[in-house]
Amino acid sequence: MAFADYFPLPQKWIPRGLRSKPCRHFMPDGSPMYGVVAEYDTAASVYHAAEKVRDAGFKAWDMHSPFPMHGVEDAMGFERTKLPLMVGVVALSGAAAGYLMQWWITAVDFPVTVQGKPPGAWEPFIPITFEVGVLSSAFAALFGMLAMNGLPRFHHPLFKSERFLASSDDKFFIAIEAHDEKFNPEGVRRLLESTGASRVDLVGAE
Amino acid sequence: MSQITGEAYQRRLERLAAHPAMANDNVTLPKGSWTGAARALIGLGVAGLLMTVAGAFVYNAKHAVASYSVGVLCVTAISLGALFWTMVFHQTNAGWHATIRRQLENIMMNLPLCVGLIAVMLIVELASGGLLFSWMRPEYADSPLLTAKRSWLNEPFLVVRFFIYAGVWTLLATKLYRFSVDQDRTGDRFLNNRARFTSAWGLLAFALTTGFFAFDFIMAMDFRFFSTMWGVYYFASGPFSCMAVLLIVTGMLRLRGRLTGVVGNEHVHDMAKLLFGMNVFWAYIAFGQYFLIWYGNIPEETAWVVYRKQGGWENLAAVLAIGHFLIPFLILLLRPVKRHPALAAAAGAWLLLMLVMDMFWLVRPMVYTPASGLKSPGPGAMWVDLAAIVGVGCLWAGVLARRIASGPLIPLKDPRLPEALDHRNYV
Repeated sequence: MAFADYFPLPQKWIPRGLRSKPCRHFMPDGSPMYGVVAEYDTAASVYHAAEKVRDAGFKAWDMHSPFPMHGVEDAMGFERTKLPLMVGVVALSGAAAGYLMQWWITAVDFPVTVQGKPPGAWEPFIPITFEVGVLSSAFAALFGMLAMNGLPRFHHPLFKSERFLASSDDKFFIAIEAHDEKFNPEGVRRLLESTGASRVDLVGAE
Repeated sequence: MSQITGEAYQRRLERLAAHPAMANDNVTLPKGSWTGAARALIGLGVAGLLMTVAGAFVYNAKHAVASYSVGVLCVTAISLGALFWTMVFHQTNAGWHATIRRQLENIMMNLPLCVGLIAVMLIVELASGGLLFSWMRPEYADSPLLTAKRSWLNEPFLVVRFFIYAGVWTLLATKLYRFSVDQDRTGDRFLNNRARFTSAWGLLAFALTTGFFAFDFIMAMDFRFFSTMWGVYYFASGPFSCMAVLLIVTGMLRLRGRLTGVVGNEHVHDMAKLLFGMNVFWAYIAFGQYFLIWYGNIPEETAWVVYRKQGGWENLAAVLAIGHFLIPFLILLLRPVKRHPALAAAAGAWLLLMLVMDMFWLVRPMVYTPASGLKSPGPGAMWVDLAAIVGVGCLWAGVLARRIASGPLIPLKDPRLPEALDHRNYV
């Protein structure tokens, strides 16, 4: 899914580069296709299937499990997230802005002598500088994480599948999305079946 | 744990002993290694201390005692940090620490040495009638700021308190060390429970003794000054400096081809995270204490700070703010640095230097105060400080090196070892 698909906005409001890509693949009834979803019975089988999907070079795909699985980020070939960099930049600039704000207000714009302390003293600025730094880094971490995950969203095409509800019970799933460069329905179906999936289904986007 | 029968547990221990990383030449140093280095370090330490004594005659005894105190306070902080971490890891039942705990315990077992060094400091103060502990001197006997504190600041009670601190630290260190060494031999997994129980009351006893030690042996050098944060301020120097030493020690052992697959970069990452976090904790406490003194503006408190913000000491304060906090903070924020054994150890070495600077800034300005009537001999006298600090540090490091080489490098039969061997940071 493209970035824009996560937001219920008219396409013309969204910058050109971020707009949804036109759908290239369609369901047998002619409606747009979300992708292919494969069902697995054990954690081990889905783990090894993820390694094969990773090695086949797919980028737009995800894995679903009822519980966290250690080491799956390697099996899926995750790259390190850019989130720490975003948080670092926002936190440092937030702290700098907090310091400058206080300095400008108390030393430049409206100097008032309190308790005989010099108006430009750095000491009283530190707690607020720290707090603004923490607040902005928390915001950057939370909203950056949500944006990069495409959250919040109210619905996901996979939820249309009754069988997919078992992903929060006792089944494991791999879903490869139709907008992936390497996607073609037949090849993906063959790949997933070769990885030991107990069932492979096409899923519509709407 | 208790549902595992003795027999099943024995099989588990056998499986652990067969683990390739637990091979004997991976978890022990060859017999006789590091003895030369240890002997050289101890010799250097004794030479440094002799030079300090010479410095007492060339300049004055107060200067030499202050330099010696700086060294002693540094190595005591590191050793106390090791005691703190050992108890915290036992108390939280931390799995990942099992492979680094023996080195923590080795550092911790230097506490009896530190107690001896502190005893020398105390004896000199008592015999000289208060070189640094000015409250012992008769000329201040009538000061109202001192008479109000007489019930605490008097010689007999100070000696009693010293024995309490020394007793608690030695007892905790030897008790925890013995549990760990006994487990190497017997494989008794319930020794962990006993260590955990000891750590529970031990942490409380540690907090009180460390705090009051800092009151008595650093803060009381200026009896007019007081800060309720002082105990925490001195304590805050321990955990990060101990992690720094631990990073250096494990790094050196890995350079010797030991601990392969036992202490990996995942452990380095965690140690460096604790180094980073506890260094920020130090900065937080240091600033918090200074900030309240600055805001409160009470003469007894500000006099102490004002004196350390003039006459050249303000440069050292700036070095602390930038070198102890700002630069290490920005560098250790980077994940690749924390996961790199050499870079993390280098950051640790830098922070050990900053620990010395911090203690220097606390203690050394007490020597040539205007009230003392002593005239500063200028920077030429710095060799006394260097000799004393390097001397104490080398003595401490030599004793540590000898203990590291004398036994296994990790606890051999800790039930948490399998977890520690497979340790990974999933972030």
